[in-house]
Amino acid sequence: MTAVIRAESLTKFYGESRGVVDLGFEVEAGEVFGFLGPNGAGKTTTIRLMLDLIRPSSGRLKLFGLDVRKQSVAVRSRTGYLPGDLHLYERLTPREYLRYVAALRGLDGLGDGEALAERFELELERPIRALSKGNRQKVGLVQAFLHHPDLLLLDEPTAGLDPLVQQTFNELLREVVTEGRTVFLSSHILSEVQRLADRVAIIREGSLELVEAVETLRARAFVRVEATFGTPPPQEAFAGLPGVRELERRGPVVVLALEGSADPLIKALARYEVLALDSHEADLEDFFLALYRKGKSDAE
Amino acid sequence: MLSSVFAKTLYDRLRSFRWWCLGTLAFIALYGSVFPSLHGKQSLNKLIEGYPQALKGFVGFGGNLDIASGAGYLGTEVFSFWGPIVLVAVAIAAGSAAIAGEEERGTLDLLLSLPVSRTRCLLEKLAALVCEVVALAFVMWILLVIVSSAAGMGVSAVNLAAAMLGLVLFALDFGMLAFAIGAATGRKALAIGLSATAAVIADVLNALAPLASWLDSARLVSPFYFYSHGDPLRHGIAGTDTLILLAIAVVLGALAPHLFRRRDLSTP
Ligand SMILES: Nc1ncnc2c1ncn2[C@@H]1O[C@H](COP(=O)(O)OP(=O)(O)O)[C@@H](O)[C@H]1O
Ligand SMILES: [Mg+2]
Repeated sequence: MTAVIRAESLTKFYGESRGVVDLGFEVEAGEVFGFLGPNGAGKTTTIRLMLDLIRPSSGRLKLFGLDVRKQSVAVRSRTGYLPGDLHLYERLTPREYLRYVAALRGLDGLGDGEALAERFELELERPIRALSKGNRQKVGLVQAFLHHPDLLLLDEPTAGLDPLVQQTFNELLREVVTEGRTVFLSSHILSEVQRLADRVAIIREGSLELVEAVETLRARAFVRVEATFGTPPPQEAFAGLPGVRELERRGPVVVLALEGSADPLIKALARYEVLALDSHEADLEDFFLALYRKGKSDAE
Repeated sequence: MLSSVFAKTLYDRLRSFRWWCLGTLAFIALYGSVFPSLHGKQSLNKLIEGYPQALKGFVGFGGNLDIASGAGYLGTEVFSFWGPIVLVAVAIAAGSAAIAGEEERGTLDLLLSLPVSRTRCLLEKLAALVCEVVALAFVMWILLVIVSSAAGMGVSAVNLAAAMLGLVLFALDFGMLAFAIGAATGRKALAIGLSATAAVIADVLNALAPLASWLDSARLVSPFYFYSHGDPLRHGIAGTDTLILLAIAVVLGALAPHLFRRRDLSTP
């Protein structure tokens, strides 16, 4: 079976400026593939390359085994796209707009649009210019799904959706993959990708950092603990504690990664004067910090 | 109703089109009501005789300065002044909006994520541009035919159509230029600026040509020359001139897909 998406040495420069560099990955049918990276990492660039909106500097990119440049129309007819920066025809109503999209996709009426709009509780008759950000995003989602595409390319899809709508969106994604269809979803929020995706690629400054199953990623999850001390503790104060890694030190502030029980760390902290203590589940930044730290200590 | 890129593009243009039609109606009614008081007044022609040569070049149409006659009056007021301004403006507006306008507003990304090839998208928008210009010219023509006979101008419907055909092609030359620049760069202001400048240069070159002999050959690059010098209001269609105007539009129109196909789309 051929991969739904296959990128090989995919590179895109905008003139001198870096878009993505030497990307290689595969996405299989029936999975939600999370494409995770901070702003400017190259997520939008990658998705726009798939739709032939921009052209690669080098490398190969195939969707459904089809060349995205030479067979672009065939690729696009099987793909639904939600842009990260959504711009719609302001004067049209959602119904008029969705009918236009459906017509250009060769469908009668709105395709699945009517049913989807009902599910998302999207009002179809008010002009798009009068809609809130969340409602516009719903229009964007409905137009991406209305032709029952084999592949969905969703660029930061949950931006602007309220929690209830996100719930509907999650259900929709699950249905899609249950039917053997495929979702490629970009995000800059680690927890979101962990919630939605089966596999994750992490991209940073245009390059892939890692590709792995969400379970594997989750197993690496940790709590970020940031402690501010009266006087900085000695360098080795937290070395060797089970489940504890030191990530960063800025004067009296020490950032630690904690996995498993908090008890050994608490007892170790108690030996010093702690002025402030903050802890939360690691986000993408923390994750990069840990990744980078680990890379360094592995090299040593 | 919005079942194709072509239909959607025309639909978008419809709002401003209504106002252009209304303006056309008002202007032509005004011109028609003024004509009877000028008709046959040779003193007027004497006045124009006295104009400096530089000014005459801008006023006349096909060398005809007899504004006391119907053909001279329409040539001067409508076909060498107000008509080209309106049709060229409409053509440039439509040409720059087609690709560059959508691209700058950000809606082109989603449009071209649909299974529509860039070339097809372009051709449908191009067809819409031609339709809009032709439709407005048709409205002008009908009104002119009515006014010409009502005010006793004595210009036949056929000759009016001949002049209008030239005007349509003349306007399309600049509309296509704006269209091609927009397709090549995605920049609307650039498309409008360059093609409007080209239109003004075309007019000035043609108007000033009688003043200096070196300009005489320069006018041969001016579409305005090919549009006006055969005086179609009196003599009907001039074959070669018409073909040259058509060729310019076709070449620019044909260039657009090549320029558009090879580049990245930009995001706002
Ligand atoms: N049209 C463009 N011209 C120049 N640089 C661009 C352009 N689009 C994106 N970039 C650059 O490419 C990099 C990746 O951008 P992008 O793909 O939008 O990232 P992301 O979607 O992950 O935030 C960024 O450094 C950005 O500045
Ligand atoms: Mg982005």
